[in-house]
Amino acid sequence: MIEILDPTVEVSARPITYVDRPRSLEGKRIGLIENTKFNSDRLLARIGDILKAEYGAAGWTMFRKHNSSVPAHDEIIGELSRACDVMVAGVGD
Amino acid sequence: MPAALTSKRYQVEGPADAIEFCFAQGWSDGLPVVPPTEDKVRALLEAARLAPTQEIGFVAHRAVSITAEKVAINAVLAGCRPEYMPIVVAAVEGIADPRWSYHGPGTSTAGAGVLMIVNGPIARELDVNAGDNLFGPGWRANLTLGRAVRLVMRNVCGSRPGTLDRGTLGHPGKLSYVIAENEADSPWTPLHVERGFRAEQSTVTVMAAEAPRQFYNQLSNTAEGVLTTLADDMRISGNVMGQPHYCVVLAGEHMRTIAGDGWDKKRIRQFLWEHTQNSHAHLKRTQRMSGALQPGDDARLRPLLVSPDDILVVAAGGRAGAFSCYIPGWSSVRSSQAVTKEVKR
Repeated sequence: MIEILDPTVEVSARPITYVDRPRSLEGKRIGLIENTKFNSDRLLARIGDILKAEYGAAGWTMFRKHNSSVPAHDEIIGELSRACDVMVAGVGD
Repeated sequence: MPAALTSKRYQVEGPADAIEFCFAQGWSDGLPVVPPTEDKVRALLEAARLAPTQEIGFVAHRAVSITAEKVAINAVLAGCRPEYMPIVVAAVEGIADPRWSYHGPGTSTAGAGVLMIVNGPIARELDVNAGDNLFGPGWRANLTLGRAVRLVMRNVCGSRPGTLDRGTLGHPGKLSYVIAENEADSPWTPLHVERGFRAEQSTVTVMAAEAPRQFYNQLSNTAEGVLTTLADDMRISGNVMGQPHYCVVLAGEHMRTIAGDGWDKKRIRQFLWEHTQNSHAHLKRTQRMSGALQPGDDARLRPLLVSPDDILVVAAGGRAGAFSCYIPGWSSVRSSQAVTKEVKR
């Protein structure tokens, strides 16, 4: 018999508290996180327009990340928390 | 009394069963591994004088702490000798550095490997190949050092092909992608000295990278001739809309031809930067740049890289053969920067 060691890390559970979701988008300020990939700005603008026209959102603001493979930087997070009620973010090519 | 190793332990019948067990657990890159027994893991930790709990890197994007114990276990799996451990540690520090920006190259469909360039005395001491068959096969150090880093990415950071590593094509360098600079024969300033270290220091530079692309020039006996061919090959490669880096590896014959004309690395970089620019018209015609052709697009040039300094020039490869190569970096400007770390012993 031989004994070998596990090369992986054991995941430690950590509770995450989510902010309550709004019941309605009526009058809400929408933040859109744009990841710099081709046409992502156009897709998000379309989504923002739909949320405004069909769900009554007050309007939308788009924020551009430094690049697609990094999280939104601090200035974006700060501005989002001041100027937006909900946000739309995603990853895609 | 050495510090205890805290990783989970498994009992298996013997080495052959251990290899199969590691495959079954999903710990392998597809090749057989060396069973990571405590004595082997401890030998690597001792060679780098590291406590098992020491944090080698923290990958913020993945919220993962990489400890010396886990690096050592994965380096054993990869087949590293104990004295390789300081290089593996330095490379792991490099990929955990925020400038390297782990999440992108560890995950992306564009399929980056971790090109590791070893400089300084340790490369010669540990026989890290800088010559014939530069990219393999044949040298234990070259094949196991990079394998160890990739296994850390897989087993510690979660970059498993098909789940968090979504490379569309990948490339063979994702198994191991390690070279040394041929400082003994090179007429030029070594890469690590250009990047701020002293010649007697040992370093490893990590660059998120596509596969190497060989180019031929068996005709010219001038620096400008060889580099004109290289630039013509490079011009349309990788992400021509904005590469973060290139690594240019100049092998023996080309190295001697270029140096014989008195060109240093700075001049090589400048020449390549100037001669790899594409016209907007070409980029639009070939569907790389969006938008309709505009008057003047034929004369409007877009550099392949932001700066000549984004080209890493390395002297390495066999003495014979009029071939060299260039290696496109991964993705686009600001996505991932090459990082050089000292190998601490």
